[in-house]
Amino acid sequence: MIDGPDLAGSDTLGDGDCVTLIFPARGDLVVLARLVASAISTRVGFDIEELEDLRLAVGELCLLALQGSDARHGDLRLEFTVSPASLDIACTLAGAAPARGAPNADGPAADELSEQILAALVDEHGRERQDGLVRAWLRKRRKGPLA
Amino acid sequence: MEQEFRIEERVEGAIPVITVIGEVDVATAPQLRESLHAVIARGESTIVLDLLAVTFLDSTALGVLVGALKRCRELGGELHVVVDDARIRKIFEITGLHKVFPLAHALAEVGAQ
Repeated sequence: MIDGPDLAGSDTLGDGDCVTLIFPARGDLVVLARLVASAISTRVGFDIEELEDLRLAVGELCLLALQGSDARHGDLRLEFTVSPASLDIACTLAGAAPARGAPNADGPAADELSEQILAALVDEHGRERQDGLVRAWLRKRRKGPLA
Repeated sequence: MEQEFRIEERVEGAIPVITVIGEVDVATAPQLRESLHAVIARGESTIVLDLLAVTFLDSTALGVLVGALKRCRELGGELHVVVDDARIRKIFEITGLHKVFPLAHALAEVGAQ
């Protein structure tokens, strides 16, 4: 038997744990953010309804970060941070140029719908532009004791 | 990782029925937009959109549906959305779009099968 590092750990995430996910800013990869959000939600003790809410919310967070940018050459960076009181998720778009041309006029402004969805599903959310980067974030409070 | 996504189209009586299967998000919503636009471009103004097999829907998809609804109504028709999953209906409700779309729980409610 060969002894290796103990990577099994526990199946929970605790106070101060931070998970970072970086991927090319492509729509077909936003599913990665949803998958990671699902896995982390389970590990911080959210129930199935909260998990589904976060899966949707994280997708909207990515969409908000992508709004108004030509993201073809950018990366989306997501940080999931666990604290005793909440799970905080921040999504930053880096390396993208402002979009040219008019936004898609198919329906209501896409960011308006995203904002409505986030307002209904999470406790706090926001979006800011800093040094050319778009950063969208959300906070989902934890009901129970620490995982 | 890849989720199955498929769009099927058929005609029930005189009404086109578009059935969507899988996750409708920023990656797949453009395909749905193309399907809806193609049907409307043929002169159809009333469409049944079957979302019974949809497992995920985001704001991009909602934007496509609102755009198609506007086009249908401009032509004097309607876009009937059939959705039964509580999680999917919840997205219509939290955006207030359940008041805008005629939502049905089953195809039979809109004269389709």
